Amino acid sequence: MAGKFWSSSQFQQWILDRQDLLRERHGDLQILSEEEYHKVMIFFANFIQSLGEQLKVKQQVIATATVYFKRFYVRNSFKCVDPLLLAPTCIFLASKVEEFGVISNSRLISTCQAVVKNKYSHVYTAEFPYRINHVLECEFYLLEVMDCCLVLYHAYRPLVQYVADIGQENDLLSTAWKVANDSLRTDVALMYPPHQIAIACLHIACVILQKDYKTWFAELNVDFEKILEITRIILNLYELCKNFDEKKEIPQILQKVPKPKTQPSRPPSQGADGQPPAQPVVQQQQQPQGLQQP
Amino acid sequence: MDYEFKVKTSSEREKVEDLFDFEGCKVGRGTYGHVYKARPKNANERSDSREYALKQIEGTGISMSACREIALLRELKHTNVINLQRVFLSHADRKVYLLFDFAEHDLWHIIKYHRTAKANKKTVVTPRSMVKSLLYQILNGIHYLHSNWVLHRDLKPANILVMGEGPDRGKVKIADMGFARLFNSPLKPLADLDPVVVTFWYRAPELLLGARHYTKAIDIWAIGCIFAELLTSEPIFHCRQEDIKTSNPYHHDQLDRIFNVMGYPLDRDWEDLKKMPEHPTLTKDFKRSSYQGCSLSKYMEKHKVKSDSKAFQLLQRLLLMDPTKRLTSEQAMNDPYFLEDPMPTADVFAGGPIPYPKRDFLTEEDNDTDKANAQANDKVRSSIQNAADSGPNAKRVRLGPGPPQPPQPHNYQQQRPQF
Repeated sequence: MAGKFWSSSQFQQWILDRQDLLRERHGDLQILSEEEYHKVMIFFANFIQSLGEQLKVKQQVIATATVYFKRFYVRNSFKCVDPLLLAPTCIFLASKVEEFGVISNSRLISTCQAVVKNKYSHVYTAEFPYRINHVLECEFYLLEVMDCCLVLYHAYRPLVQYVADIGQENDLLSTAWKVANDSLRTDVALMYPPHQIAIACLHIACVILQKDYKTWFAELNVDFEKILEITRIILNLYELCKNFDEKKEIPQILQKVPKPKTQPSRPPSQGADGQPPAQPVVQQQQQPQGLQQP
Repeated sequence: MDYEFKVKTSSEREKVEDLFDFEGCKVGRGTYGHVYKARPKNANERSDSREYALKQIEGTGISMSACREIALLRELKHTNVINLQRVFLSHADRKVYLLFDFAEHDLWHIIKYHRTAKANKKTVVTPRSMVKSLLYQILNGIHYLHSNWVLHRDLKPANILVMGEGPDRGKVKIADMGFARLFNSPLKPLADLDPVVVTFWYRAPELLLGARHYTKAIDIWAIGCIFAELLTSEPIFHCRQEDIKTSNPYHHDQLDRIFNVMGYPLDRDWEDLKKMPEHPTLTKDFKRSSYQGCSLSKYMEKHKVKSDSKAFQLLQRLLLMDPTKRLTSEQAMNDPYFLEDPMPTADVFAGGPIPYPKRDFLTEEDNDTDKANAQANDKVRSSIQNAADSGPNAKRVRLGPGPPQPPQPHNYQQQRPQF
């Protein structure tokens, strides 16, 4: 199974190095610090997780959606599409790709409204402003930006295989699995093959559980330099999260995030007709428009 | 979404109608959408004068099957699997177009051509090795899909394309992956997503008895059916298809047909038969004694395929009732049949002339009937396609000159020589 990864679109087109990431994010990093940028990504990974849990999709759908989200913003500024719109779009597409089925239009939007209202009112004081036509439009852009590379290889499968190889260790699998979930809040899925991420997650899980599998790790035929890089990135995430007060910091950071302008530039006195009833606090200048009906 | 972002991407996006000529060049119509024969514009100026098949997916947006087809084809690359060249997303009307290499022939038309020729007492000259070459390449393509954790799930003659003149002459290309899916991690039982998937004639007995999980063996059964059809020009499990609206996998007439050819399975031949969800219905509806004396060897002998031939020996092991006993694609490819003269060739026509007509363009009139058919079919999307037709011809392409073939089900019972 892992062998197929080497001929996948993920390996051929979507394994990037740190320089690639920095180059593509250059515009946004003029406005946000690297730390702030990561906090935005963590916030939206959490948002996608909440949406996914509320929609009762499997973790694999959530993982795929989260990587789609990252891929989009590797190629584009936050200014191009509001992340609050891209997040449900990613879940919507990932659910189809991962064979979870089509999430109904009304269920997707009502779930977004409920999650925003019940869990994110500290960030978004207004109602979730998008409708399904926004999601459907956005889906085409997402597909286009990803160059139709939809099939993803995650760390979960190799992780299960490695744990089985070590022997039955339920706490090891569940701890490493959680680390793999956490790793979605970093860039590792954009930078390393899934089996290396799995080994790094196992490595961290062993440290947490104080288990010694040195001989097992020693027999692996992998580049340990890479494993250590991944481990370091995930540990940096834990370090960052220690002092990250999301409720307090995120509204301020989102204020700085560049926003889409849905209309060509006009004098400020114009362009207020037919607006959605509400707008999130973080979107002070612009709101999404209804799609023009043909 | 940002206005400038939209303007910028729109100006950079290449439009399918700017790059290709395909208007009036429709060659196929089915529930999946329309297929056009497309040529690059300004073909004379550029060296690229190849022909392409442009599939406009039915409906708008990214449907489940569009999503599957794009996702899988994007990852797959094999000489016997249709190659996705490019995806065009038309934002304005939300249409999705898939660009493939153009395949001039398919097994539905090839088999039909042979059947028509026989009805008119004409012979079609083809290499002795052709059936063997076709089967070998089908197996090769499916082996690739299966080893990449992809099940096709809808194998039938109309989905097996054969390339015409050109660099890929006489090569099999497995197509129509809209039903295919990765099966390494079924998040939901497959049966929950598409209640009924494979066209009945090519559907394995375990599916008809309510099996909830698809397996590689289901594709192998379909290949066995196609192999038999290539040998005899008749769909081996041909069955009248009236009751197409049911989403129930259990299909009495189809099972009856299978038993009529194969005989009713013995307990020792298929031990898990008792565990099938529809086993109670089966024992209620069927009696073993009704099928005494039926066997695959008798059926094939009737069609002039000797039961001591290597072809028959292989067929028998592809069409085993017990899915766990059926050959894998790899085992089948290593069968002695393929080591015996005549050997399979990379060009199934073995360099000889191609006797089959090229695809015709569909006219507006065809379009109208097709549209009506397509609408009717959409209602039974998960059921059988083009049931009113003489066969499961998803492509609905007209053949060249020749009298129309009256689709009488009992025709299939007549003996026919091999081609």
